[in-house]
Amino acid sequence: MGFTLVAPDQPKEACALLARSAPGEISVLAGGTDVLPDVEAGRVRPSRLLSLRRLPWRTLGWNGGSLTIGSTLPLREIEADPGVRERIPGLAQAVHAVGSLALRHRATLGGNLGRAAPTSDLLPILLTLDAVVNLVGVDASRSVPVDQFVVASRSTTLRPGELIASITIPEARPSQYVWQRVRPSNDISQVGVAAARASRPPYWRIALGGVVPRSIRLEGAERLLPAVRPLVSELEAAAALAARLAPFATDKRASEAYRRQLVGILVRRAVASISPPIVPPVGVA
Amino acid sequence: MIRSDLLAKASGATEFGTDLAEPEMLWAALVLAPIAHGRIRRVDLSKARAMPGVHAVVGAEETARLLGPGAGDPERPLFPSTEVRYRGQPLAAVAASSLAEARAAARAVQMEFDPLPIAGDLEEVVAEWPGSEAGSDPRMIAHVRASNGDLGEEFRLAEFVHAETYRTNGVAQVALEPHACVAKVDVGRWFVRTSTQTPFGIREDASSILGVPEASLVVEGSWVGGGFGGKTAALVEPYALLLSAATGRWVRLSLSYTEEFVLGRSTLPAVVRLESAVRAGRVTARRVRLLLDTGASLPGRDFATGYAIGFLLGPYRSDAFDIEGYAVRTNKPPFGPHRAPFAPQCSFVADSHMDSIARRLGVDPVAFRLAHVWRAGDVTPLGQAVGPFGLAECLEKAGALLAIWRRELPTADGFGLGVGCGYWSTNAGAGGEALLRLSPNELTIDQGEREIGSGSVVRGLVAVAERVLKIPSDAVRVGYSDTSRAPFDSGVFGSRTVGALGQAVEKAARRLATELGRRLGTSDPATLARDDDQLVAISGAVRRPVRELLTSEELRAGGLEFPGQHAAPPGRIDDSRVGAGTFYPYTDFTGAAHVALVHVDRATGAVRVLRYAAFHDAGVVIDPATFRAQVEGGVAMGLGSALTEETLWGPDGRLLNPSLLDYRIPTLGEVPPIEVHAVPGHPGAGPFGAKGLGEPPIIPVPAAVANAVADATGARVREMPLTPERVARTLNLLASGGTGRG
Repeated sequence: MGFTLVAPDQPKEACALLARSAPGEISVLAGGTDVLPDVEAGRVRPSRLLSLRRLPWRTLGWNGGSLTIGSTLPLREIEADPGVRERIPGLAQAVHAVGSLALRHRATLGGNLGRAAPTSDLLPILLTLDAVVNLVGVDASRSVPVDQFVVASRSTTLRPGELIASITIPEARPSQYVWQRVRPSNDISQVGVAAARASRPPYWRIALGGVVPRSIRLEGAERLLPAVRPLVSELEAAAALAARLAPFATDKRASEAYRRQLVGILVRRAVASISPPIVPPVGVA
Repeated sequence: MIRSDLLAKASGATEFGTDLAEPEMLWAALVLAPIAHGRIRRVDLSKARAMPGVHAVVGAEETARLLGPGAGDPERPLFPSTEVRYRGQPLAAVAASSLAEARAAARAVQMEFDPLPIAGDLEEVVAEWPGSEAGSDPRMIAHVRASNGDLGEEFRLAEFVHAETYRTNGVAQVALEPHACVAKVDVGRWFVRTSTQTPFGIREDASSILGVPEASLVVEGSWVGGGFGGKTAALVEPYALLLSAATGRWVRLSLSYTEEFVLGRSTLPAVVRLESAVRAGRVTARRVRLLLDTGASLPGRDFATGYAIGFLLGPYRSDAFDIEGYAVRTNKPPFGPHRAPFAPQCSFVADSHMDSIARRLGVDPVAFRLAHVWRAGDVTPLGQAVGPFGLAECLEKAGALLAIWRRELPTADGFGLGVGCGYWSTNAGAGGEALLRLSPNELTIDQGEREIGSGSVVRGLVAVAERVLKIPSDAVRVGYSDTSRAPFDSGVFGSRTVGALGQAVEKAARRLATELGRRLGTSDPATLARDDDQLVAISGAVRRPVRELLTSEELRAGGLEFPGQHAAPPGRIDDSRVGAGTFYPYTDFTGAAHVALVHVDRATGAVRVLRYAAFHDAGVVIDPATFRAQVEGGVAMGLGSALTEETLWGPDGRLLNPSLLDYRIPTLGEVPPIEVHAVPGHPGAGPFGAKGLGEPPIIPVPAAVANAVADATGARVREMPLTPERVARTLNLLASGGTGRG
């Protein structure tokens, strides 16, 4: 289990190190909450760990309505940020849903995305916020929509020698992340639902976690919702469609039938907390 | 006052089993069966032997060579030679220079099997539901039955018969420290240092498994990182000893956490059917049938079915009853004892059933229980005298608190309140001898148990000495020795430490007090106090340093010594009520009534426990802080059994969730504020009237939670744990029948 730890302070240097290394020889270390258990268990046997801790990426900054979060900022600092809590509540809720408090003091947004953590609680909300992943490489930088970045559990479109520098959320949106678990305080979510309302059409984004191979948007359900407050009947229709379309399977955490039940409930709750539905007066169909 | 073991534990200085190490030791790994049932065609160790760093690889053949032909218990071979009976059964063991090399060599062992059909699912047996003739069914390794009264007549006269079927699932041990030991065999001395609740029990067990006389075996307990019953029988020790015999070196064997889940001895699923005849607001007769999955347990070694049968009627009067249980053999690892073996599950069944009858009758569930509950002077269904027993008083107090909480209950949908009852008998086990040694500045309690975390040894025994001698607690030291030197005691299990070994300490302390009084020239017993760093003996106005009261011979020997013994006369069962099987007439009954306030999400089925109270008859409480901590810990653990903890088994006999990720113990986030109340006035046979408290706090929890869920929703969940999906299914929330367990 012997490895050496390298901690460059220049992004280009880090990318060069990565580019020069053969696959499997080096592992990237951000918070370490995902990779270190793999090293400990012998699932990976890198000879070097590339630590990102000295890179200038522990940042969080607003540019008007747009938020950019450095990839190595611990999750705890995101959920504790008053601006995030007020302007993008769904992001604070999703970050709060990850692991335990102790873990969130180490774990990072970049690590969660870069490792394409299975059944991520973060990917659904990032999909609804149209988040963009900013990458640096040896020769060039590029930005990729999160939808095109995470392909599947443990699979991304990161190229050799590239690192995640930051994640940009282009617009602060009213948003919500709700989940269901066997053990509420710390568990893998059986189902997670994120919802957000954009300022321009198409207004609604609804995304689903707890599905394989990756979280997805429920665009059919999104289209059933109007710009502002939905009617109860519209919300019910969207929730029912979401429950019908969700690509669920039965596993040891939940049955397919239970997950379908949950999706309907969680879509209803997430949307309603952003825009309380209009209850028609009695007698109106 | 801070408990004497806590600073070292909090700072990481304590050496637990997993910290044990010796210079130049070898590391061991077990080769585990990759199938649940099959004939062994070949276990080829040659490739493993050739791996780097390997010192020894032993299987069935080598074991016979090392121990001598026919040595050891043929029913419990270290490695089977013909048939694998559960997935994970050890087939060989490796000792190597490093853990990585040992594990690599274990993976290199080549194995071939002829698969046999896997008996895994209790429900297949339930589908046929055996009658009383099933005793000859080879799947049943034990049959127990007890009955009394004219059942037929009572069922004929009944206004209605309340019939229900309940299911429980397996609970794993989840001590944070897995089984671990270091061993060394040296010219006929077989020594093992191990994390155990029962050093003498390990000696007896290892002796039987290895065929080595007890006189040649020495077991030294280490500090224990949690023991809930899984560390009461030999598990890693015989393998480490065998590998040391093969190599002549110190050998360390520690299970990985995955192995601990598989081999660490879990409870397993059960199905219970109950029928109660009800007339004039009372249960007049009961018929109960139990099927208990005991895994690959051996015939004659099942203890659990007899335990369970006793608990399934609850602490309630039953003049007419017929109760019958079968231990069902499956291809899972053998069933093991876990904190109050099977009593929380039985309380869930028995007390949910009582609550369910009360609701059907439309009467107050607490009042209904009070009309049936045992009181001092009653006898159990098996005819055993209950003795001093405060459960009725616990229930009355629980009912009064429930009424207050009911008035404060939010009016929103989904809130509910429930009561759960449980009982236990605690004066168990053979032996219990302690040796007190008074030196000029310290009192030592030499004894044969190890502290497992509850405080029963480091605090409980010390508190007894303090009460008798008035000695300051930091002048009392608990001495731990190996089995070649310590006074015999059967160990920490069955909530027996304070009640049993505490008696021995009390008797020795009283003799010491009397002798010191005599040496002071008074007829009264003396007490002890400290003056600078010296102890002084006091009786009335007379006061002298202990140093001056000891003879020069006593000073040379380390102090003035007095032994004390505990004796536990077993209770008496009415044999005419026993139809088959073994029952355990332990004495000193303790009772507890718990109250839970829950919220149920009526859309998702998610249950949160928001408030909790526990009322315990623990006889005379001799250390209030330890009492409170023990009840809080038991409730927290019980909430896990009630809501989230269950082992999941695949059709191939594989444990599907052998990790803390998917086997969910509660975190502090699941534990609400807990009120803890002692209900005095019903003394036990322990020192000053103490009763045991190790196990009772976990027993009523699942019932209290399930009854609160029934109160909140009107729906009865008849399977534990009450996971969100299970509750949702009971509330008929699912569009189509789910198959997952969730």
